[in-house]
Amino acid sequence: MEQIMKKLEILAESAKYDVSCSSSGVKRQNNGTIGSTTAAGICHTWAADGRCISLLKVLFTNNCAYNCEYCVNRRDNDFPRASFEPEELAKLTYEFYRRNYIEGLFISSAVEVSPDYTAERILKAIRILRYDYQFAGYIHAKIIPGVSQEILHEIGLVADRLSVNIEMPNSESLNKFAPQKKPKQIFTPMKQITNTLIERGALVGPGTMFKGQNVNVAGNLVGLQAIKGSRDLTVPIRRKRDGKDFAPAGQTTQMIIGAGGESDASILTTSENLYRTFKMKRVYYSAYVPVVKSPILPDLKSAPPLQREHRMYQADWLLRFYGFTTSELFKNKDENLDPDMDPKVAWAIKNLDRFPIEINRASYMELMRIPGVGDTSAKRILRARKLAPVGYDDLKKMGVVMKRAKYFLTCCGKYYGDRKFLPETIRNAMLGMENGLQMSMFDTHQNLLTAASQVQLFDNNWKRLEQGAALEKLSIAGVI
Amino acid sequence: MDYLYDGTFEGLLTCIHHHYYTAKATGIYTKESYQMNLLGDFLEVETDEAKASIVYDAMEEKISHFAVRCMYKTFLSNVADKEMKILRFAVMGFRTGPKFTYMHGNDIVIAIETAVRQVGNEAERMRQFVRFSQMDGGVLYGEIEPEHDVLELLPSHFCDRFKNEPFIIRDVGRNKAIVALKGQWYITDFGEGDMPDYSTDEVGYRRLWKKYFDHIAIKERINPRCQAGHVPLKYRKHLVEFQLQTDDFERTI
Repeated sequence: MEQIMKKLEILAESAKYDVSCSSSGVKRQNNGTIGSTTAAGICHTWAADGRCISLLKVLFTNNCAYNCEYCVNRRDNDFPRASFEPEELAKLTYEFYRRNYIEGLFISSAVEVSPDYTAERILKAIRILRYDYQFAGYIHAKIIPGVSQEILHEIGLVADRLSVNIEMPNSESLNKFAPQKKPKQIFTPMKQITNTLIERGALVGPGTMFKGQNVNVAGNLVGLQAIKGSRDLTVPIRRKRDGKDFAPAGQTTQMIIGAGGESDASILTTSENLYRTFKMKRVYYSAYVPVVKSPILPDLKSAPPLQREHRMYQADWLLRFYGFTTSELFKNKDENLDPDMDPKVAWAIKNLDRFPIEINRASYMELMRIPGVGDTSAKRILRARKLAPVGYDDLKKMGVVMKRAKYFLTCCGKYYGDRKFLPETIRNAMLGMENGLQMSMFDTHQNLLTAASQVQLFDNNWKRLEQGAALEKLSIAGVI
Repeated sequence: MDYLYDGTFEGLLTCIHHHYYTAKATGIYTKESYQMNLLGDFLEVETDEAKASIVYDAMEEKISHFAVRCMYKTFLSNVADKEMKILRFAVMGFRTGPKFTYMHGNDIVIAIETAVRQVGNEAERMRQFVRFSQMDGGVLYGEIEPEHDVLELLPSHFCDRFKNEPFIIRDVGRNKAIVALKGQWYITDFGEGDMPDYSTDEVGYRRLWKKYFDHIAIKERINPRCQAGHVPLKYRKHLVEFQLQTDDFERTI
């Protein structure tokens, strides 16, 4: 027990920077002796950093042959090393699962010896768990770039979800930070997973992005030009049936935010491409936590860009569930999201010509475009207005966030935003600005600014203050 | 007139029957909680299976199965004045028909929706937070202390998951428990004296889990407020990973 304790400590410590921990995407009744999975997944607890713990997330080994710049397990890092035995790990998962501590296993690994050697060890561990322990719970296996097709396929037949980490949003930064990984090594397994899912008629796709379409068609096969040329691309693929599920919960990936100098636009464009090409379930983002000293990386003392990560996730949801595209979010050659507000609000303010939207007439997709209205409240509005027109007070009761929504909608023709319908006034109201002076000026970010830029910031705000006063006068005089 | 009933769902359905055929109800209370009132009149409603099933069938037929489920979940909650909320909901349902549950802006519907959401959320929390311990003889034993009476919403999930293992989930506050084996389960009274003994390797796994829990958090991102939003303090008493010292394990065992 003492020995396992030591290994668990080291290998959990090494695995904690992997973001994905979801146990969702597949509903399965107990077809073994123990375990089941639910479609939405179950989180069993939340760690001190507020991230959920759903799966037992460990590395198989942290003994790495690679030397990726950003990684805590890089070869040059002086750090305690350990490896699990396949049987040991299976037993530990089983015992935790019985006690309802976890929903299953998330198994990743450093590259020990070679990708194939490591993948075979992972395969052995999850086979023991699946077949010897008859475990029907969730298994998420990480695919090491460069692994052979056959082993990947075997892992897919045992695991529920597969993921290949892309880590860097473009090939330049990959080349810079992880010189031993090649883009081709990353995209080949991704391609294989998506194509196998299509062949089995089991591809689902991200969120509601492809809702109502059959994605299991020849045209969606990735990178097979010969087939694309010779067939009708919209014809559903004839299913291969061998009675086995291949990764029924699909595939995901992960990108690091803030290690290289990429803009939000380039990161989200990469995400959108991953969603459209590979039909991935999720792309995860992880704010870079400086763990290793390196001349090309952010300083060890710098804080992880949590706010930026948060905005990326908000934008990601807009892509998957709200019918947005990246090009809509970055319209006027903006390179980054507005750090001060929700990307949906920022988009709405830039596109005021599409608002206000009449609650009692708009379609579901139009309702979803209103800031403060989400899936639940949009559906409630659709149901309620079948019986009677929906009024302003009803919206609040239905869970619409009125402090955001009121500027962008009308109820039975009446507009309730108590301001001028102008981008600047709405923006100010959203940010809680008094007379144009921005409150976030007093934020903690302030500490990082140099004296010179503080003056600059103050000047800008001062100008805004003057503008605000001028506008107010004009509005009192009834000019605007 | 105030109604007093015995605290069972059938009793409440009988009250609804009386509301239509005897006198209009102004309040429905359980016998224990009723504060005697000098001015008001009250009626002790005797639970009547026949009347209850008439009301139940009428609701299934004239309102909807969904609405009946909502009423039952509200009945399991401990929100204030739940009996009258259910009565008003039923009366409105009989008057307007099945689609009235779409009226998401109506106060009577909202009252039920809120209670249903609270009960559903807590049941989900219990599915997340039950921590089983291995007992002698192979039984899995877990303790919970929910605010609402969600115990009976749990077994369908766990019976499938542990279809070969006997397990007990005990509601500490209400002194009752689910006892389940091979997909079959029942609810029974369960006190301190009924507990089996812990098995010998239990402490070891609790220590391992606590160790894992402490090491999976990223130090640079520590965020107690976010954590408390997901794991409210009131549930932490029965969670292995939130016990401060590992010695606590031995003390409880």
